Amino acid sequence: MAAEDDGKEYRWETGYEKTWEAIKEDDDGLLDGSVAEIIQKAKRKRMLERKSNARLGMMRHIFVVIDLSECMADQDLKPTRQICTIKLLNAFIEEFFDHNPISQMGIIVMKNKRAEKVSDLTGTAKKHIKALHQIESMPCGGEPSLQNALEMAMRSLKMLPSHASREILIILGSLTTCDPGDINQTINELKEHVIQCSLISLAGEVHICKALAKTTGGQFGVVLDDAHFKDLLLLHVEPPPAAAKLEPALIKMGFPHHVTGAVGQSKDAPMLAICMCHLDVPSECKLSAGGYFCPQCNSKYCELPVECKACGLTLASAPHLARSYHHLFPVAPFAELPFNAGDDNDPCYSCQRSYSASKDKNIYKCGRCLQIFCVDCDIFVHETLHMCPGCASHPSTTSQLK
Amino acid sequence: MDTSEDLTESSLLVVVLDVGLSRATTLRNDPALAGQVLEAVIAFSNAHMMMRLKNLLALVACDTETTEWIYPESKADMSDLRQQDGQHELFNELERTVRRKIAQLLKRSAGSNSKGESMLSGALGRALCYVHRMQQEERQLNARVLVVTANGQSVSQYMNFMNVFFTAQKQNVLIDVCCLGPESSLLQQGCDITGGQYFRPPQPQGLLQYLLWVFLPEPLLRNKLALPPRVKVDYRAACFCHRELVDIGFVCSVCLSIVCKFSPICTTCHTLFKTPGTLPIKPKRKKAKLV
Repeated sequence: MAAEDDGKEYRWETGYEKTWEAIKEDDDGLLDGSVAEIIQKAKRKRMLERKSNARLGMMRHIFVVIDLSECMADQDLKPTRQICTIKLLNAFIEEFFDHNPISQMGIIVMKNKRAEKVSDLTGTAKKHIKALHQIESMPCGGEPSLQNALEMAMRSLKMLPSHASREILIILGSLTTCDPGDINQTINELKEHVIQCSLISLAGEVHICKALAKTTGGQFGVVLDDAHFKDLLLLHVEPPPAAAKLEPALIKMGFPHHVTGAVGQSKDAPMLAICMCHLDVPSECKLSAGGYFCPQCNSKYCELPVECKACGLTLASAPHLARSYHHLFPVAPFAELPFNAGDDNDPCYSCQRSYSASKDKNIYKCGRCLQIFCVDCDIFVHETLHMCPGCASHPSTTSQLK
Repeated sequence: MDTSEDLTESSLLVVVLDVGLSRATTLRNDPALAGQVLEAVIAFSNAHMMMRLKNLLALVACDTETTEWIYPESKADMSDLRQQDGQHELFNELERTVRRKIAQLLKRSAGSNSKGESMLSGALGRALCYVHRMQQEERQLNARVLVVTANGQSVSQYMNFMNVFFTAQKQNVLIDVCCLGPESSLLQQGCDITGGQYFRPPQPQGLLQYLLWVFLPEPLLRNKLALPPRVKVDYRAACFCHRELVDIGFVCSVCLSIVCKFSPICTTCHTLFKTPGTLPIKPKRKKAKLV
């Protein structure tokens, strides 16, 4: 129930919305089925609304700003708002790097009227998960300062080249903010630098937050409970439609191949080197032969994707780029058909489950290959597989680039 | 050591059989080999079902025109299940179903021109949907997919294959590949991504022996056995213009296509790029002539 009206109508003018009637008990007296149905319907609606062939910002640089003021110790989200937020952010980080492997993320916290950068912009998830562990044990206190956090994020984001999409995601638990200057000025600066700001408020709708999101082109949401919070967070995993000012560019990238360093692999003696990624943590830095070597400057790294510290070249591997292709070529939504129990139907094309009248109210038909799928396979194909098995089984429909 | 937990876990094996292999170059020299491959696969499937009572099996076949679900049949007729030759009824039913349906599939595609690539990615997609359904129905299940093929290198199905591999990785499904034809780097990548085993039998006549040795053990047992070593996979990207592997390339930020040289227009998505590096020439100041 994020704010949908434009502010032109007041609540009492729209009449009663009997939202409790939307939820009905099913035959066994359980509510789970109808809640799941509502979530499914919302997902389908979102899928249909998504425009295809819109330019998406693939290389994303996002700063996650977490509120650590005293209202985050509130227990309205169990066990406390802080712990619930950290738990959901762990899941968010994993999903984010799964869908956007060549993107970078940084974390900032707000407390005691100051902003603190906990982890800088990097492309590996491990560092952020460690940082989140630290945040979980940090004590909450003071007031949050929205302007300080935005200024700190902006300082790093405005240095980035123009082909990268710049985003800030703020999780705000308090209804107030304590700023040193005029926040409207900061908002205008953000708009100038094409930085998209999205907010998730745990308490309620605040005008300045909504204005910030609207001006910069981000999304604003207020959470109802922790399931809704997860839903709102996972909305940001998908790449946003690119802002008009986003300039496309050809980015130079290196594709190192992996050297295993096993004895006897190459005829020459193995090249021993210290990896560059663990230089500041001497305990984890090991002298070894295996790893990825930058093609330009030959410095060694343990994991990809990474930005070479010596020569500045972005290093990635082909599967990392392939992970993002499904955003560009999404599977078209299937047509929903009502299920008639009387027809002698073949089982679901992909999972071979026979249809039953109780579980399958609707069956789904692909527009290109005309095969029929059950509701579970419909969700699986669109959310995880990103490929229609029916279309891939025929030579005429197998290429998605049509 | 079978603890009580191991007894309740079941293992699902989905065999994806590429029937188009009967037309592959290797097997043209020895036509009887195609029949031997089918026999080996059936014997291997029976061996998997014998390993544990709760093991599950499925079979998908594909050729150049279509994919076909072979086993288990959802509308199976269990009425004429009798013991024949002392063989366990389950194995008997499995063998009969597989032979009947593969014969149907071959008859259907006998007359068509078979120069195209096998629809392997479609078959893998169906296999993964089945695994997804089984994972929701059964509590403890470890699943793996065995691909038996002779032609794995396919250019038009690259995207589909990558989607399949990433989905399998997410579902914790291993993809094993038994490659009877030329080496396929795409399938090697898939095995590496999902943690499965890639193997190319040096002698196709002994296929059953290789299947039982390399592919029968469950994933948990594999690190206790001395299986063929992992192949070193080349993950370098191929540029879109020459299909050559590149060390350093340029990536379009809109469509993520890889090219080896800078060009002002992206060939895939036709976006214009600004040419970098050229500094604007400063206009020469004309010196005022002193008259």
